[in-house]
Amino acid sequence: MKLNLRINQNNIIILSTLLLIILLYGAGSVLYTGFFTWQVFFNLFIDNAYLIIVATGLAFVIITGGIDLSVASVVAFVSVVSAALLQEGMNAYAVMAICLLIGIMFGAAQGYLIQRFDLHPWIVTLAGMFLARGASYFITTQSIVIENATYTAISKFKINLVGSNFISVSVVIALAVVAIAIYVAKYTEFGRAVFAIGGSERSAVLMGLPVPRITVLVYTISGFCSALGGIVFTFYMLSGYNLHLMGMEMDAIAACVIGGILLTGGFGYLVGPLLGVICSGIIQTIVMYQGTLSSWWTKIAVGFLLFLFILLQRVIVIRRQRRRIISHAAGKPAPNGGDRRAPASV
Amino acid sequence: MFKFKKSSFVMTTVLAVGLLLSACSGNAANNNGGNAATNAGTETTAPAPEDKGSDKKIVLGFSQIGAESGWRDAETQSIKDTFGSDAQFELKFSDAQQKQENQIKAIRTFISQKVDAIALAPVVESGWETVLEEAKAANIPVFLLDRTVKVSDESLYTSFIGSDFVLEGQNAAKTMMELLGADKQVNIVELQGTVGASAANDRQKGFKEIVDGNPNYKIIKSQSGDFTRAKGKEVMEAFLKSDGKNIQAVYAHNDDMALGAIQAIEEYGLKPGTDIFVVSVDGIKPAFEAIRDGKLNVTVECNPLLGPQLKQAILDFKEGKTLEKWIKSDEDVYFGQKAIDALPNRLY
Amino acid sequence: MSSIRKQAASIMHTKIIWPITALAAILLFNLFFVPGFFNIEIKNGHLFGSLIDILNRAAPIMVIAIGMTLVIAKEGIDISVGSVLAIAGAVAISLLGVVPLWMAVVAALIVGVLCGLWNGLLIAYLGIQPMVGTLILMTVGRGIAQLITEGKVLTTDDKAFGFIGKGFFLGLPFSIFIAAFVFLFVLYLKKRTALGLFLEATGTNKISSEYAGVEPRKIYLFVYIVCGLCAAIAGLLVSSNISSADANNAGLWIELDAILAVVIGGTSMRGGRFFLAGTVIGALFIQSLTTTIYSMGVPPERIMVVKAIVVIVVSLMQSDRFRRVFQQKNKQAVAG
Repeated sequence: MKLNLRINQNNIIILSTLLLIILLYGAGSVLYTGFFTWQVFFNLFIDNAYLIIVATGLAFVIITGGIDLSVASVVAFVSVVSAALLQEGMNAYAVMAICLLIGIMFGAAQGYLIQRFDLHPWIVTLAGMFLARGASYFITTQSIVIENATYTAISKFKINLVGSNFISVSVVIALAVVAIAIYVAKYTEFGRAVFAIGGSERSAVLMGLPVPRITVLVYTISGFCSALGGIVFTFYMLSGYNLHLMGMEMDAIAACVIGGILLTGGFGYLVGPLLGVICSGIIQTIVMYQGTLSSWWTKIAVGFLLFLFILLQRVIVIRRQRRRIISHAAGKPAPNGGDRRAPASV
Repeated sequence: MFKFKKSSFVMTTVLAVGLLLSACSGNAANNNGGNAATNAGTETTAPAPEDKGSDKKIVLGFSQIGAESGWRDAETQSIKDTFGSDAQFELKFSDAQQKQENQIKAIRTFISQKVDAIALAPVVESGWETVLEEAKAANIPVFLLDRTVKVSDESLYTSFIGSDFVLEGQNAAKTMMELLGADKQVNIVELQGTVGASAANDRQKGFKEIVDGNPNYKIIKSQSGDFTRAKGKEVMEAFLKSDGKNIQAVYAHNDDMALGAIQAIEEYGLKPGTDIFVVSVDGIKPAFEAIRDGKLNVTVECNPLLGPQLKQAILDFKEGKTLEKWIKSDEDVYFGQKAIDALPNRLY
Repeated sequence: MSSIRKQAASIMHTKIIWPITALAAILLFNLFFVPGFFNIEIKNGHLFGSLIDILNRAAPIMVIAIGMTLVIAKEGIDISVGSVLAIAGAVAISLLGVVPLWMAVVAALIVGVLCGLWNGLLIAYLGIQPMVGTLILMTVGRGIAQLITEGKVLTTDDKAFGFIGKGFFLGLPFSIFIAAFVFLFVLYLKKRTALGLFLEATGTNKISSEYAGVEPRKIYLFVYIVCGLCAAIAGLLVSSNISSADANNAGLWIELDAILAVVIGGTSMRGGRFFLAGTVIGALFIQSLTTTIYSMGVPPERIMVVKAIVVIVVSLMQSDRFRRVFQQKNKQAVAG
């Protein structure tokens, strides 16, 4: 009963997000010529493939109640490392393997510090953020162009879908990551343990779940996804630069939250980050199509659309919850699950 | 509690409707323009009657980095003034909030809107190959502003309009030696721009090339001041505390940092411009005022007013003239009376 | 009863000892490696030296971190402080020529309160998660600040305004008196008023404090308003120090420094008890680190790595579990 209700609540957020995305896209299509085309829609995925991957990895961490601020720096670091190694003439696939390894080790190290010494994830990953950025300064302060044949080939490879409209290889990778993440979260022991830790770490320990191992593992996943995102981003940019993606961690976190994942942990649906990314992508596209906003109005417009989105989402959810509470109150006593969200602010 | 929720819902709805309405009305005009432009771009529709039978509007998509400094703002303003006041053109402006990925998105958006020309002020030199190829495939000429890009195929962009950061650094060093005397012993502290920014890298490189050629001149400390007044002041404060009277000159990668450093020097009890020689790059108006007040010695101009040159380049391109690959912007080095004379004419 | 109090005191003691150790360590480091760091002389009738600089520079971080401490004690976070700082500075300086000084200052503070109110309403009454709720103002706020200044760096010649951020009072920077006042005021709230009790109570256990008759939403609203006000005060300090308002760059990333100061000071990000004195020392530590890096001539591209290592070391020192492991290892080494 209780479990059922929780999943329902997730569904409300996901559905409201989906509804709002359709509304937003519809509004854009009505307002601007050339907005309602396949390519514009595909571009949302092409331009944000790396963000989808990073946000999906981050979602696991957030569901356990943690946070990873290092993601953006790791992406930048990976781009610099790949560019530097490729410049030395290393094999492209070896470079990718090294990058993934770096991501895994970086994530695992963060997870170890957090778990073993009971440090707060904010601080550890903040240090990780400085470290990854700083380490890429060590390699070079310049931006490096990638001329490797494999990388450029992947970067320019177009998969035609509808007519001459195309998606890139990165989009396929990103969607695969999302699919795997949904599967892992829903159908594996590991996935259930992640949710259990986020719900209550103490109960998870009492249930006999291997909490330490899973904590380290979620940060490792986040590190891996950041590295994978970094590789995809490198395809996208064909360059390594340490100032890439300053502040992108906030975009990733926002994408998770808009997608209905609770920052306090325990709740969430792994398709959420994807929806969150698409939502902010549409907002950006609308602002670009508008084409007359000055720098500051761009900021205000992006922020205000974000606000409106979150607000409507909250209103839908609150209204639904209230109806549920009322209907339950009429019949049986209100269940715990509904109560939990009512006193606001989590 | 319930009461609040209800009222909040009403409030939200009102807000949302209000926003949509304002968005619609605000966009109506622009939308029409956009329509006309895209239609014209495909060259299928006849020119609108109010176009006086002459040719269609030239739609320019401009991807700007952001608004991180007064200099950047002057550049944006110059483009907006030049193209906004000209009925021949329609300007689509996109601000990237300092992010290259946003600039790439903007260029993709311009391509899908079928603009006639793209102007790009790249945030960094690398990483443009893919998207510029898409622009080339769509037959849209790309003009680079204030910094160039590294691409394997130079035909990916039409022209680069801007200045040479390395040259600016060299000029700063040369002017400093000219004014101080090449045989004087001078210890220099350097206030760098944001670490990794190409303006910082190149201005450092050019300056160092010249200084290294003269054994009397030494850079004793070098630190990043992030191109801002506040950081420039903070770093200079620390430099003064650790090296104090040992410092004869300051080289700042932009005017804002130099203005911050001037405050720090004054608060330290020395006279900037007299006790410590101050040289910086950019040539914003407050820097000229500082030269007038004797607090700043030299500013190396880096011209942001690229609008007119860009317009000329686009018109030339439309007429089929061959353009120079690098159209240099008009720039100068200002100090002393020359700066004071130029002050009333400074626009930014 | 008294033993409980004693225990509480000892916890407090251990919590604050680590930031103090870290601060002492970095000052000691300076004593050996940065000549003249401790020199304090009297110049133009006020004290002068690196240490004074640190006090002056740390004041804005301190003020913001104090506000942030309250928010974090309520399991919240406010990442909009940098933007609020920029707005307050822009408002003050753009009004200076038009209205008298006190009005400009009051206007800036009111703007800070309004920003805090906005955050608080979103978070406490609409139930939006704090990080995202304040993310909105972080984005919009900087846009508003740029709108006010039209993207330019506004400057002022007002000497009285300049006094706030770079003046000296009794030989010390005036800004440090403002920071001290904010500190004492919040400390008074915490220790001497019923509100203080609520502040800690709702953080520790929301539901039980609700049963105890505390209306948590009002407390949430209150802490965000205080945080906004603190950010506005910091905005006045920063803009007054350089006599200009730089809407684009003022307070960029300051939220990270402030949060770091709070955590180094011993307040847990999981909410509950908070340590204002710890926060102040945390802020001093961060500024000392920055100033040390500048005076030592660490190449700018290395700063990030140095900062990362220091943060990890300090937080490891604070971790009870790490010390336990470390002590055990030591014992084993001795035994073996």
